[in-house]
Amino acid sequence: MLRIENLRKSYGTFQLDCSMEIRPGCVTGLVGQNGAGKSTTFKAVLGLISPDGGDIRILGKDSRAFGTKDKQELGVVLSNAGFSGYLTVRDIIPVMDGLYAHFDKPFFLEQVRKFGLPDNQKIKEFSTGMKAKLKVLTAISHRARLLVLDEPTAGLDVVARDELLELLREFMEQDENRAILVSSHISGDLETLCDDIYMMHEGKIILHEETDVLLDDYAVLKMDESLYDTIEKRYILRSRKESFGYSCLTNQKRFYSENYPKLAVIKGSIDEVIMMMIRGEAL
Amino acid sequence: MKGLLIKDLKLMKSTRNSLALVLLIALGMSTYISDISFIITYLAIIGITFATGTISYDEFDNGSAFLFTLPVSRRGYVIEKYLFSLLMSLGGWLIGTVIAIGVGTAKGTMASEEGIMVALMLLPMVLCLAAFLLPMRLKFEGDKSRIAMVIVFGGFFVITIMGVKVLQKLGIDVEALMKSLSAISAGMGAVIVAAASIALLLLSCHISIKIMEHKEF
Repeated sequence: MLRIENLRKSYGTFQLDCSMEIRPGCVTGLVGQNGAGKSTTFKAVLGLISPDGGDIRILGKDSRAFGTKDKQELGVVLSNAGFSGYLTVRDIIPVMDGLYAHFDKPFFLEQVRKFGLPDNQKIKEFSTGMKAKLKVLTAISHRARLLVLDEPTAGLDVVARDELLELLREFMEQDENRAILVSSHISGDLETLCDDIYMMHEGKIILHEETDVLLDDYAVLKMDESLYDTIEKRYILRSRKESFGYSCLTNQKRFYSENYPKLAVIKGSIDEVIMMMIRGEAL
Repeated sequence: MKGLLIKDLKLMKSTRNSLALVLLIALGMSTYISDISFIITYLAIIGITFATGTISYDEFDNGSAFLFTLPVSRRGYVIEKYLFSLLMSLGGWLIGTVIAIGVGTAKGTMASEEGIMVALMLLPMVLCLAAFLLPMRLKFEGDKSRIAMVIVFGGFFVITIMGVKVLQKLGIDVEALMKSLSAISAGMGAVIVAAASIALLLLSCHISIKIMEHKEF
């Protein structure tokens, strides 16, 4: 669905250099701190910026040859951009109808009603949550095969986030050949939605793992200095000095649980893994 | 293209009060201004200004970046902006012409044939204005585009004056040259001016496409 190989882009001292793949039927998450390069990656994929090097293939086509017809199969949410705030939902409908061959107007209208979006109010007067909902609705209302979503749940409360995530799950269930690339600061969203996750730091992919593996096999181990000196370090990915001793990130939780019964083993979460991958030291 | 045109028409809807006010002002002025070219030019320029204003609406909150994720190419976007600007400016020109001739005829100050001739003579100027304004607006955002316009028009006048002075220094009689140009038949002159205006507009569109193709969002 989407293959990025050695994508490079420089802005001053920042250098993006990443490779990733999004397979059909999969929801792939991209996580990282602010300024890690997530939005730059999205922009390069969408042709909004010119990469300095590397290859991007979207839906089997080189991104440079990806034309307006091909874009019919793409649904996009950008974190800081959308339809002009001077338009209303009612204005957007004929625009979408004119742009997309398969715009599903009844579905769009039904979702607008369901989410309680005012149809005759200027978008610039919408709340952050309403804007976020509208962006996702426009991305999924034209039978796209690939969704590229940059922070789609930003600014939403828990209930609204859950509704949107449900909408994305339904979108995936309708066709097994669809795929989603999504970034989010809210790791809980990614844990429940994504099949695999890429972690980005300072323009580089520092970890790629299936979500199930990440949640089941990754853990943070907490220990004092004496235990740290003797513990098996083969499966420790990162370690970090703490006031009580050391925190270590492992991808072999069971090994440490079984062999070191007195060790504090904290179940891995995306937040914990990000923290350790970025702040910890590789052994 | 169709979707973009609808979008711009919808954006225009939010400026309908301003447009109505402009029309009222034009109507009011036409009753006491005898120079009909002013009314026609005024409405044509307003049409272009409102049309290029949709670029600002598109740019609001990084909207341009989002637009290019839709099935819209940069080339298609530019061509749509030219079409929409022509639609708006020619619309303004047409309304201005109708008002000017209508008021002139009612007052008995002008024959409609004369009014149509004046309006047709102003048409190339409207096209040239669109040809200059659109690349500027697409290249520079907000205030920068206004500054760039002042520099370009200022530069144009300076170059014209300097050109005349250089010709005079070279011993070429500029007045005689102008007279020889006016000796060309009206029909031939109109064809030359119309062809030059269209060529300028096409060149301008080509430049605008290049500008947009190199833009990053």
